[in-house]
Amino acid sequence: MSAGVANVRRVIERWSRDQVLSLAPDAASQKAAAGVSAPGKWSGSGALPDVVWGECKGSGATPYRACVDLSEPAYKCSCPSRKFPCKHALGLLLLWASDGVPDGGAPAGWVTEWLEQRRSRAEQQDRREREPAKGSRPSSGSAQRESRVTAGLSELERWLTDQIAHGIAGARQTGLADWDELGRRLVDAQAPGVAGAVSRLSRVLREEDWPGLLLEEYALIHLLAVAHRRAAGLPAGLAETVRSRVGFPITREDVLASPWIRDDWDVVGARDEEQDRLVARRIWLQGRATGRAALVLSFAPIGQALDASLVTGTTIDAALAYYPGASPVRALVAERYGPATAGPPAGTKLSRVPGRIAEVLAGDPWADSWPVVLGDVIPSTESLVDESGNGLPLHPAGGVPWRLLAVSGGRPVTVAAEWTPRGLRPLTVWDEEGQVVRL
Amino acid sequence: MNTPAVNVTWEDLVSTALVGTDRRSASPGEVLEQAAVQAVRARAGRRTREGRPPAPAAEETRPLAARAAGDRLARMLGGEQARLLPEWLEAAAAIGVRVPAHLIPGLLDLGARDRSIRSHLGALTGARGRWLAELNPSWSYLLAEAADMPSGDLWEFGTSGDRRGYLAALRAAAPAQARELLERGWDKETPEDRAAFVLLLSENLGMDDEPFLEAALDDRRREVRQAAADLLTRLPESRLARRMAERAARFLVKDGGGLRADPPKACDSTMERDGVRPRPPAGTAQRGWWLQQVIARTPLAFWAGHLGLPPERAVQLKVGDWAREVAMGWTRAAILQHDARWARALFEVEPLTDLLAVLPPDEQSARAAELVVRHPVDGQMIMMLGGVARPWGPRLAKAVLKKIVETSGTQPWNAGELIRLAGERLDPAMHGHVQEIAELAVILRFRYDMSKELS
Repeated sequence: MSAGVANVRRVIERWSRDQVLSLAPDAASQKAAAGVSAPGKWSGSGALPDVVWGECKGSGATPYRACVDLSEPAYKCSCPSRKFPCKHALGLLLLWASDGVPDGGAPAGWVTEWLEQRRSRAEQQDRREREPAKGSRPSSGSAQRESRVTAGLSELERWLTDQIAHGIAGARQTGLADWDELGRRLVDAQAPGVAGAVSRLSRVLREEDWPGLLLEEYALIHLLAVAHRRAAGLPAGLAETVRSRVGFPITREDVLASPWIRDDWDVVGARDEEQDRLVARRIWLQGRATGRAALVLSFAPIGQALDASLVTGTTIDAALAYYPGASPVRALVAERYGPATAGPPAGTKLSRVPGRIAEVLAGDPWADSWPVVLGDVIPSTESLVDESGNGLPLHPAGGVPWRLLAVSGGRPVTVAAEWTPRGLRPLTVWDEEGQVVRL
Repeated sequence: MNTPAVNVTWEDLVSTALVGTDRRSASPGEVLEQAAVQAVRARAGRRTREGRPPAPAAEETRPLAARAAGDRLARMLGGEQARLLPEWLEAAAAIGVRVPAHLIPGLLDLGARDRSIRSHLGALTGARGRWLAELNPSWSYLLAEAADMPSGDLWEFGTSGDRRGYLAALRAAAPAQARELLERGWDKETPEDRAAFVLLLSENLGMDDEPFLEAALDDRRREVRQAAADLLTRLPESRLARRMAERAARFLVKDGGGLRADPPKACDSTMERDGVRPRPPAGTAQRGWWLQQVIARTPLAFWAGHLGLPPERAVQLKVGDWAREVAMGWTRAAILQHDARWARALFEVEPLTDLLAVLPPDEQSARAAELVVRHPVDGQMIMMLGGVARPWGPRLAKAVLKKIVETSGTQPWNAGELIRLAGERLDPAMHGHVQEIAELAVILRFRYDMSKELS
């Protein structure tokens, strides 16, 4: 036996089927990918520690060439699909996940060529980003925007006080039309953040205790309008939070100009949410050494490519740059240095979550989601409970998390969840074998 | 800056906001500010609350299925080759593994809709499955399925599924002991359990069971009576079998070169006690219905003496009126009594799928092959083939492949169904030899990989 010699240390842990499918832009792609993941469809496939490639027989004469750089991951395929990653790239990954791609072998010419191209492109971009940004914020146009936003928000303030003066009892009848109109005016006033908050108001009407929930939302939107009016008197961090909540854009360059934080980042969970014909993909990270939470947000029209570069359950050695604010969480991946050894992330004690959330809200009172990774919690049908019987409720709209319950079986597990004011939304759990299960 | 009053309760604020500050002479701006403070304070100040976690599930006794096998199950639950799911479950149950925990909810949901897959779920979902079924009422059916090898106090304290499993195992090992155990607590069992327990006696059935089963004909629950009657039919020496034979002798007699049927004019209480159901299904004549049931419950061995003919000849006899009922009675009898010789004879006259099931697998396959060669593809042939257990023998495989090639141009709809059926029943090792039928090759390859992962 020469196992010791032949055993190449696998830098990238083989992903599970679930992890691969989570990269698909939509359910149809997941299905299509499963269809092309049969071993018989592939030839000339191979895998090195950080790249997988293969040729897939399609309907035409020449096979499609698909290749995935696992370290990013990045995808390449010769098919004409507009979806990204396409079904061939995903199918290849599924095959790889089920041990269907032989390890080793010399990559074909087209594979090395593509890898070379990527490397030189990355170097170029690197140079560009290190050059000092030419001319920071453009000032023309921005003054006009400031005054539009100010006018829009003071109108909003008036509208809200009018509602409270006349009473909100009729919101169930007139709310939808009112909010629609109000949202449109806020979009015109270039305050998309507030417009979004207004458009989400309709959700509270589904709840039984809607008057209280609506008052909460009105009060927080009002608070934002007031905070914007008095921005000059606010501490710098809070003022930035207010600007970003209102919806002032901030350029990528500005974000990247802030200090970078390098760490081994665990990708702890992801959740897609549809809003206004867009899908928002929220990917939550947690730093191994810093313990910091981060949110990488991406948007795409329904059915189109979303950011598929961060795979739940993997860990990356990377530098993040945070958007400014008083409780910074949204971030960009500034630079990836490579994969890190994966494994369940370190969990926090459940009893420490309320304190953590209080700190977050002290910085940003509008915060309505935050990632928490809980170690040693036992899920029940309506809450997560630690071994001393302290519980945190689950979000009622999520229903009973049967998959989570199935994985735990009444025993302590590590769970990544999104905190919201109404309760936790479980995202990911690590099973008895340490395998990642997306919920 | 004015400090908002904190002594106003949240309920006050909500009720003021509902009716409007105009009616309460308050300032709307202040209400909004106070509400903001209280809302954020409440969110930030929320503490943990007491929670009661469920008691942990029992330890698993079976090993987890291999990762590749689990991944394939996930794909099938996602809709890929979903028709092969029962085969996966059967193969996994045969090697004694359990499924990955996170797939159990999907599997149990499927079982809630589809009874046919339930029998393997008890063992495959293991302790975790039973634990989940206790929490989710829509999965409670699982608790009625046998889980693992029975032991210890199961008979006394187990769920109905446990007790069925226990009795079945005991019956296989020590038939008399199992029956005696059942007799001791018989009166205290629920009607559902009684019916299920009687059915378990079909294993190792013998004349020793006759008195118990005869007594069960007086049970309060129809299912119990029916099950007991079905079993007694398989015992030619039983009192029920003799009573039936007496009736049959009166209702069906030799008449010259053929048979004459004279169905009963009434269904009396003794017939009803012996399992004859008085009310016919819609569209069936009453007397014919009774005749058919009497023939179905008469030991098939009786006819050789009564008619003086072997089954092969008996089934050829002309019957005037009621011919259909006589044929259906014999068919039911052959199935109920697992009589291969009669099944063979009847199949020659009319190739019914249900009859094939009584024959040994090789013979099923061979007979089906003859039919496929001789007849054009139609719905009836597909139904018949649906009754032939896998794996199909080489002759049938060859005949079906030829038929697929012939029909794919002319009747694509039938060819499609034939391909799917062949995909499920052919030996998966053939996947490399059917490349000309791409869809079939894909299904067989899928099954081939599946069987490797589950071996």
